[in-house]
Amino acid sequence: ENSPAPLPERAIYGFALFLGSSFGFMLYLIWAYVPETWLFSLGLTYWPQKYWAVALPAYLLVAIGIGYILLFGINMMSTAPLNSTHTVTDNYAKKQQQKKFQEEAIPALRDIPISEVNRMFFLPEK
Amino acid sequence: MAERSYRSAAGAAIALRRRQHSASCRELAVRCPRLQLRSLSAVTSAVWLAAYGLFVLTQNSMVLSAAIFITLIGLIIYLHFVKVDQESLLVIGSLGIQVTSSYASGKESTTFIEMGQVKDVVINEAIHMQKVIYYLCILLQDPGDPQGVSEVVPLFQSSKPRLDCLIEVYKSCQEILEQRKTAPQSS
Repeated sequence: ENSPAPLPERAIYGFALFLGSSFGFMLYLIWAYVPETWLFSLGLTYWPQKYWAVALPAYLLVAIGIGYILLFGINMMSTAPLNSTHTVTDNYAKKQQQKKFQEEAIPALRDIPISEVNRMFFLPEK
Repeated sequence: MAERSYRSAAGAAIALRRRQHSASCRELAVRCPRLQLRSLSAVTSAVWLAAYGLFVLTQNSMVLSAAIFITLIGLIIYLHFVKVDQESLLVIGSLGIQVTSSYASGKESTTFIEMGQVKDVVINEAIHMQKVIYYLCILLQDPGDPQGVSEVVPLFQSSKPRLDCLIEVYKSCQEILEQRKTAPQSS
Protein backbone atom coordinates (compact mmCIF):
# COMPACT_ATOMS: atom_id res chain seq x y z
CA GLU A 1 0.00 0.00 0.00
CA ASN A 2 0.94 3.66 -0.11
CA SER A 3 1.52 4.80 3.45
CA PRO A 4 3.89 7.60 4.42
CA ALA A 5 5.32 5.59 7.34
CA PRO A 6 9.10 5.20 7.66
CA LEU A 7 10.21 1.83 6.24
CA PRO A 8 13.63 0.14 6.15
CA GLU A 9 13.79 0.54 2.35
CA ARG A 10 13.11 4.26 2.63
CA ALA A 11 15.83 4.62 5.26
CA ILE A 12 18.32 2.91 2.94
CA TYR A 13 17.30 5.11 -0.05
CA GLY A 14 17.64 8.18 2.12
CA PHE A 15 21.08 7.22 3.36
CA ALA A 16 22.29 6.36 -0.15
CA LEU A 17 21.02 9.75 -1.41
CA PHE A 18 22.74 11.47 1.53
CA LEU A 19 26.08 9.79 0.79
CA GLY A 20 25.76 10.49 -2.95
CA SER A 21 24.92 14.16 -2.50
CA SER A 22 27.70 14.69 0.08
CA PHE A 23 30.20 13.07 -2.30
CA GLY A 24 28.95 15.23 -5.16
CA PHE A 25 29.27 18.38 -3.08
CA MET A 26 32.84 17.47 -1.96
CA LEU A 27 33.75 16.79 -5.60
CA TYR A 28 32.34 20.18 -6.64
CA LEU A 29 34.30 21.96 -3.88
CA ILE A 30 37.53 20.19 -4.85
CA TRP A 31 37.02 21.02 -8.54
CA ALA A 32 36.26 24.68 -7.78
CA TYR A 33 38.99 25.44 -5.21
CA VAL A 34 41.99 23.13 -5.75
CA PRO A 35 44.46 24.82 -8.16
CA GLU A 36 44.80 23.27 -11.61
CA THR A 37 48.50 22.45 -11.23
CA TRP A 38 47.86 20.25 -8.20
CA LEU A 39 45.12 18.36 -10.10
CA PHE A 40 47.43 17.93 -13.12
CA SER A 41 50.20 16.54 -10.88
CA LEU A 42 47.71 13.93 -9.60
CA GLY A 43 46.99 12.95 -13.21
CA LEU A 44 43.44 14.43 -13.36
CA THR A 45 43.67 16.50 -16.53
CA TYR A 46 40.35 16.04 -18.32
CA TRP A 47 38.05 18.09 -16.07
CA PRO A 48 35.84 20.97 -17.26
CA GLN A 49 37.07 24.55 -17.08
CA LYS A 50 36.77 26.18 -13.66
CA TYR A 51 34.74 28.94 -15.33
CA TRP A 52 31.75 26.61 -15.12
CA ALA A 53 32.06 26.26 -11.34
CA VAL A 54 30.77 29.85 -11.12
CA ALA A 55 28.71 29.95 -14.31
CA LEU A 56 26.43 26.99 -13.57
CA PRO A 57 25.16 28.28 -10.18
CA ALA A 58 24.65 31.71 -11.72
CA TYR A 59 22.65 30.23 -14.61
CA LEU A 60 20.59 28.18 -12.14
CA LEU A 61 19.67 31.16 -9.97
CA VAL A 62 18.70 33.32 -12.95
CA ALA A 63 16.63 30.43 -14.35
CA ILE A 64 14.77 30.12 -11.04
CA GLY A 65 14.07 33.86 -11.01
CA ILE A 66 12.82 33.81 -14.59
CA GLY A 67 10.75 30.74 -13.74
CA TYR A 68 8.58 32.77 -11.36
CA ILE A 69 7.86 35.35 -14.06
CA LEU A 70 7.39 32.65 -16.72
CA LEU A 71 4.88 30.77 -14.58
CA PHE A 72 2.92 33.97 -14.01
CA GLY A 73 2.92 34.65 -17.76
CA ILE A 74 1.89 31.10 -18.68
CA ASN A 75 -1.01 31.35 -16.26
CA MET A 76 -2.15 34.59 -17.81
CA MET A 77 -1.93 33.14 -21.31
CA SER A 78 -3.88 30.01 -20.35
CA THR A 79 -6.79 31.98 -18.91
CA ALA A 80 -9.69 31.82 -21.31
CA PRO A 81 -10.50 35.21 -22.89
CA LEU A 82 -13.87 36.78 -22.12
CA ASN A 83 -15.30 35.87 -25.53
CA SER A 84 -14.55 32.14 -25.44
CA THR A 85 -17.14 29.43 -24.87
CA HIS A 86 -14.82 27.82 -22.29
CA THR A 87 -16.12 30.32 -19.72
CA VAL A 88 -19.61 28.86 -20.13
CA THR A 89 -19.26 25.17 -20.89
CA ASP A 90 -16.77 22.40 -21.67
CA ASN A 91 -16.59 18.94 -23.27
CA TYR A 92 -17.89 17.07 -20.25
CA ALA A 93 -20.90 19.34 -19.87
CA LYS A 94 -21.78 19.06 -23.55
CA LYS A 95 -21.78 15.26 -23.51
CA GLN A 96 -23.55 14.72 -20.19
CA GLN A 97 -26.54 12.41 -20.09
CA GLN A 98 -29.75 13.41 -18.38
CA LYS A 99 -30.89 10.99 -15.71
CA LYS A 100 -34.63 10.45 -15.32
CA PHE A 101 -36.31 12.40 -12.55
CA GLN A 102 -37.44 10.13 -9.68
CA GLU A 103 -39.98 11.18 -7.09
CA GLU A 104 -38.63 11.82 -3.57
CA ALA A 105 -35.04 11.13 -4.63
CA ILE A 106 -32.22 13.67 -4.61
CA PRO A 107 -31.82 14.91 -8.21
CA ALA A 108 -28.76 13.57 -10.02
CA LEU A 109 -25.65 15.72 -10.22
CA ARG A 110 -25.42 17.66 -13.49
CA ASP A 111 -23.99 20.83 -14.97
CA ILE A 112 -26.78 23.43 -14.92
CA PRO A 113 -26.82 25.65 -18.05
CA ILE A 114 -25.89 29.25 -17.44
CA SER A 115 -29.28 30.61 -18.62
CA GLU A 116 -31.04 28.63 -15.91
CA VAL A 117 -28.54 29.76 -13.26
CA ASN A 118 -29.03 33.38 -14.25
CA ARG A 119 -32.80 33.11 -14.08
CA MET A 120 -32.55 31.58 -10.62
CA PHE A 121 -30.21 34.29 -9.31
CA PHE A 122 -31.36 37.48 -10.93
CA LEU A 123 -35.06 37.14 -11.79
CA PRO A 124 -36.97 36.98 -8.50
CA GLU A 125 -39.86 34.52 -8.56
CA LYS A 126 -43.16 36.23 -7.95
CA MET B 1 -36.34 57.70 -19.91
CA ALA B 2 -34.38 57.33 -16.69
CA GLU B 3 -30.70 57.82 -15.93
CA ARG B 4 -29.03 56.34 -12.87
CA SER B 5 -25.42 56.44 -11.80
CA TYR B 6 -23.43 53.35 -10.93
CA ARG B 7 -19.77 52.36 -10.53
CA SER B 8 -17.54 50.51 -12.95
CA ALA B 9 -15.42 47.52 -11.92
CA ALA B 10 -12.45 49.85 -11.41
CA GLY B 11 -14.44 52.34 -9.33
CA ALA B 12 -15.09 55.06 -11.92
CA ALA B 13 -18.56 56.67 -12.06
CA ILE B 14 -20.74 55.53 -14.97
CA ALA B 15 -24.37 56.26 -15.84
CA LEU B 16 -27.02 53.91 -17.23
CA ARG B 17 -29.83 55.36 -19.34
CA ARG B 18 -32.87 53.28 -20.19
CA ARG B 19 -35.32 54.20 -22.96
CA GLN B 20 -38.37 52.26 -23.95
CA HIS B 21 -39.22 52.94 -27.57
CA SER B 22 -42.12 50.51 -27.76
CA ALA B 23 -43.44 47.38 -26.11
CA SER B 24 -40.79 45.20 -27.74
CA CYS B 25 -37.94 47.68 -28.24
CA ARG B 26 -35.60 48.96 -25.55
CA GLU B 27 -32.35 50.90 -25.58
CA LEU B 28 -29.85 50.70 -22.73
CA ALA B 29 -26.87 53.07 -22.86
CA VAL B 30 -23.92 53.16 -20.47
CA ARG B 31 -21.94 56.39 -20.44
CA CYS B 32 -18.28 56.14 -19.44
CA PRO B 33 -16.46 58.87 -17.48
CA ARG B 34 -15.03 61.65 -19.64
CA LEU B 35 -11.31 62.17 -20.18
CA GLN B 36 -10.06 64.03 -17.10
CA LEU B 37 -8.16 67.27 -17.62
CA ARG B 38 -5.78 66.46 -14.76
CA SER B 39 -4.72 63.09 -16.20
CA LEU B 40 -4.28 64.63 -19.65
CA SER B 41 -2.08 67.44 -18.28
CA ALA B 42 -0.15 64.98 -16.09
CA VAL B 43 0.74 62.76 -19.08
CA THR B 44 1.59 65.74 -21.30
CA SER B 45 3.82 67.32 -18.62
CA ALA B 46 5.59 64.03 -17.99
CA VAL B 47 6.32 63.47 -21.70
CA TRP B 48 7.47 67.05 -22.22
CA LEU B 49 9.67 67.08 -19.08
CA ALA B 50 11.31 63.83 -20.21
CA ALA B 51 11.88 65.35 -23.67
CA TYR B 52 13.38 68.49 -22.11
CA GLY B 53 15.67 66.30 -19.98
CA LEU B 54 16.81 64.48 -23.14
CA PHE B 55 17.35 67.85 -24.86
CA VAL B 56 19.54 69.07 -22.02
CA LEU B 57 21.59 65.86 -22.28
CA THR B 58 21.94 65.69 -26.05
CA GLN B 59 21.51 69.40 -27.04
CA ASN B 60 19.48 68.21 -30.03
CA SER B 61 16.38 70.36 -30.57
CA MET B 62 14.71 67.67 -32.69
CA VAL B 63 13.86 65.92 -29.42
CA LEU B 64 11.53 68.76 -28.43
CA SER B 65 9.70 68.87 -31.78
CA ALA B 66 9.44 65.07 -31.75
CA ALA B 67 7.90 65.18 -28.25
CA ILE B 68 5.25 67.71 -29.34
CA PHE B 69 4.47 65.63 -32.42
CA ILE B 70 4.23 62.40 -30.42
CA THR B 71 1.93 64.00 -27.85
CA LEU B 72 -0.45 65.30 -30.50
CA ILE B 73 -0.53 62.10 -32.56
CA GLY B 74 -0.84 59.99 -29.42
CA LEU B 75 -3.78 62.03 -28.17
CA ILE B 76 -5.59 61.77 -31.51
CA ILE B 77 -5.04 58.01 -31.71
CA TYR B 78 -6.18 57.58 -28.10
CA LEU B 79 -9.39 59.57 -28.62
CA HIS B 80 -10.22 57.85 -31.89
CA PHE B 81 -9.40 54.21 -31.15
CA VAL B 82 -9.24 53.70 -27.39
CA LYS B 83 -11.40 56.11 -25.39
CA VAL B 84 -15.01 54.96 -25.42
CA ASP B 85 -17.60 57.59 -24.57
CA GLN B 86 -20.79 55.54 -24.58
CA GLU B 87 -21.76 51.92 -25.14
CA SER B 88 -25.36 51.14 -25.94
CA LEU B 89 -27.51 48.09 -26.43
CA LEU B 90 -30.68 48.25 -28.55
CA VAL B 91 -32.91 45.19 -28.18
CA ILE B 92 -35.70 44.90 -30.77
CA GLY B 93 -37.96 41.99 -29.94
CA SER B 94 -38.50 40.27 -33.25
CA LEU B 95 -35.54 41.66 -35.13
CA GLY B 96 -32.30 41.43 -33.20
CA ILE B 97 -29.81 43.15 -30.94
CA GLN B 98 -27.63 46.09 -31.94
CA VAL B 99 -24.47 46.94 -30.00
CA THR B 100 -22.97 50.42 -30.51
CA SER B 101 -19.73 51.89 -29.16
CA SER B 102 -19.20 55.65 -29.52
CA TYR B 103 -15.64 56.85 -29.18
CA ALA B 104 -14.54 60.22 -27.82
CA SER B 105 -13.62 61.49 -31.30
CA GLY B 106 -17.19 60.87 -32.51
CA LYS B 107 -16.57 57.55 -34.24
CA GLU B 108 -19.32 54.98 -33.80
CA SER B 109 -18.85 51.28 -34.31
CA THR B 110 -21.98 49.12 -34.57
CA THR B 111 -22.65 45.39 -34.56
CA PHE B 112 -26.02 43.83 -35.28
CA ILE B 113 -26.96 40.29 -34.27
CA GLU B 114 -30.24 38.94 -35.62
CA MET B 115 -32.69 37.34 -33.21
CA GLY B 116 -32.44 33.91 -34.85
CA GLN B 117 -28.81 33.65 -33.77
CA VAL B 118 -29.34 34.87 -30.21
CA LYS B 119 -29.70 32.08 -27.68
CA ASP B 120 -29.76 34.20 -24.53
CA VAL B 121 -28.33 37.26 -22.80
CA VAL B 122 -26.65 36.25 -19.53
CA ILE B 123 -24.40 37.63 -16.82
CA ASN B 124 -21.22 35.54 -16.83
CA GLU B 125 -18.31 35.53 -14.40
CA ALA B 126 -14.76 35.12 -15.67
CA ILE B 127 -11.18 35.74 -14.64
CA HIS B 128 -9.82 38.95 -16.15
CA MET B 129 -6.39 40.36 -15.26
CA GLN B 130 -6.06 38.78 -11.78
CA LYS B 131 -9.68 39.64 -10.90
CA VAL B 132 -12.99 37.86 -11.25
CA ILE B 133 -15.50 40.16 -12.93
CA TYR B 134 -19.16 39.93 -13.88
CA TYR B 135 -19.91 40.88 -17.46
CA LEU B 136 -22.96 40.76 -19.64
CA CYS B 137 -22.72 38.64 -22.76
CA ILE B 138 -24.88 37.42 -25.65
CA LEU B 139 -24.81 33.66 -26.22
CA LEU B 140 -25.06 32.82 -29.91
CA GLN B 141 -26.72 29.67 -31.07
CA ASP B 142 -25.17 27.00 -33.23
CA PRO B 143 -27.65 26.44 -36.09
CA GLY B 144 -27.03 22.68 -36.05
CA ASP B 145 -27.25 22.21 -32.29
CA PRO B 146 -30.08 24.07 -30.53
CA GLN B 147 -28.70 23.29 -27.07
CA GLY B 148 -25.12 24.33 -27.71
CA VAL B 149 -23.45 27.73 -27.52
CA SER B 150 -21.41 28.56 -30.61
CA GLU B 151 -20.07 31.95 -29.61
CA VAL B 152 -19.98 34.35 -26.66
CA VAL B 153 -20.15 38.10 -27.38
CA PRO B 154 -19.13 40.16 -24.34
CA LEU B 155 -20.86 43.55 -23.94
CA PHE B 156 -19.86 46.81 -22.22
CA GLN B 157 -16.17 45.94 -22.40
CA SER B 158 -14.86 49.47 -21.83
CA SER B 159 -17.21 50.64 -19.12
CA LYS B 160 -17.28 47.30 -17.22
CA PRO B 161 -20.30 48.00 -15.01
CA ARG B 162 -20.65 46.25 -11.67
CA LEU B 163 -23.24 43.65 -10.80
CA ASP B 164 -26.01 46.05 -9.72
CA CYS B 165 -26.00 47.82 -13.09
CA LEU B 166 -25.72 44.50 -14.93
CA ILE B 167 -28.75 43.09 -13.14
CA GLU B 168 -30.85 46.07 -14.32
CA VAL B 169 -29.73 45.58 -17.91
CA TYR B 170 -30.26 41.82 -17.64
CA LYS B 171 -33.84 42.19 -16.38
CA SER B 172 -34.69 44.66 -19.17
CA CYS B 173 -33.29 42.33 -21.82
CA GLN B 174 -35.02 39.26 -20.42
CA GLU B 175 -38.40 41.00 -20.51
CA ILE B 176 -37.99 41.47 -24.26
CA LEU B 177 -36.48 38.04 -24.90
CA GLU B 178 -39.29 36.27 -23.08
CA GLN B 179 -41.76 37.70 -25.57
CA ARG B 180 -40.27 35.72 -28.42
CA LYS B 181 -41.14 32.45 -26.70
CA THR B 182 -44.80 33.38 -26.16
CA ALA B 183 -45.20 35.12 -29.53
CA PRO B 184 -46.03 32.83 -32.47
CA GLN B 185 -43.03 31.82 -34.58
CA SER B 186 -43.17 33.71 -37.86
CA SER B 187 -40.04 32.32 -39.59
